[in-house]
Amino acid sequence: MRFDFVEPVIFFVLAFGVIGAGAAVVLLNRITASALLMALSFLCMAGMFVLLGAETIAAFQVLIYVGAITVLILFGVQFTKQGGDRSYALFFQKQYPLAAALVAAAAIPVFLFSFYFSAPAPQPGGGDIRPLATSIFTDFAFAFEVASVLLLAAMVGAIVLTARDEQEETARRRR
Amino acid sequence: MTIPLSFYIAVSAGLFFIGCAGVLVRRNAVVILMCVELMLNAANLALVAFSRRYGAIDERGSVFVIFVFVIAAAEVAVGLAIVLSAYRNRPVIDVDEIHQMKG
Repeated sequence: MRFDFVEPVIFFVLAFGVIGAGAAVVLLNRITASALLMALSFLCMAGMFVLLGAETIAAFQVLIYVGAITVLILFGVQFTKQGGDRSYALFFQKQYPLAAALVAAAAIPVFLFSFYFSAPAPQPGGGDIRPLATSIFTDFAFAFEVASVLLLAAMVGAIVLTARDEQEETARRRR
Repeated sequence: MTIPLSFYIAVSAGLFFIGCAGVLVRRNAVVILMCVELMLNAANLALVAFSRRYGAIDERGSVFVIFVFVIAAAEVAVGLAIVLSAYRNRPVIDVDEIHQMKG
């Protein structure tokens, strides 16, 4: 190992991201900012999964949590807006120069670094997806099927709970 | 140098208690759902950490993480549907105010 200090540094940055963003979700009063910081916490958690060597879990984490669940929660936030919530800008909406400086400070080093970056050669063996898939489709095949039925039931339940009654809706509009 | 297992468990416990405090303290129903997701994620970190350090041969801890993902997705979908239908009934999001079903 050449870079002995890299892994602890990455770990502490990710730990700070997970804990800090999680605490901000609880402490902030702006719900939209809470939802976006929850996504940041999930993203740092995906980094921790990569550090632990569980790349497949990290990919699922990004797809399901950072992608699907955050979007769902953001829709929930937007549909249930409360009066005092949206009285001021979310992030830097009044401070364009500051926002531009921050983005440039983050983007330019990454851009310069990308010239010198060379990815390590891919390892044969497929990482952790092969034992994971073997385990799911042999030992846990029944639980896997039950999980798919559960997802179907949840989908039908969500549709039934939020579906509007067409006649009731037109009657309400006429009133 | 690899990170000791206890560091991951400490982060997991910290995030879990943050989520737990959020569920108990916040009164917005959507924020409570977010905090539940944080707690599930903390449990996932503990599962993956133990699975990686103690179960190098099989992947059972990671398999449970997949099932936790499924449960979390189902939970947040149904939970948001309940919140939205309660909100449509009466436009409040405060869980102290949502007591239509109280006996």
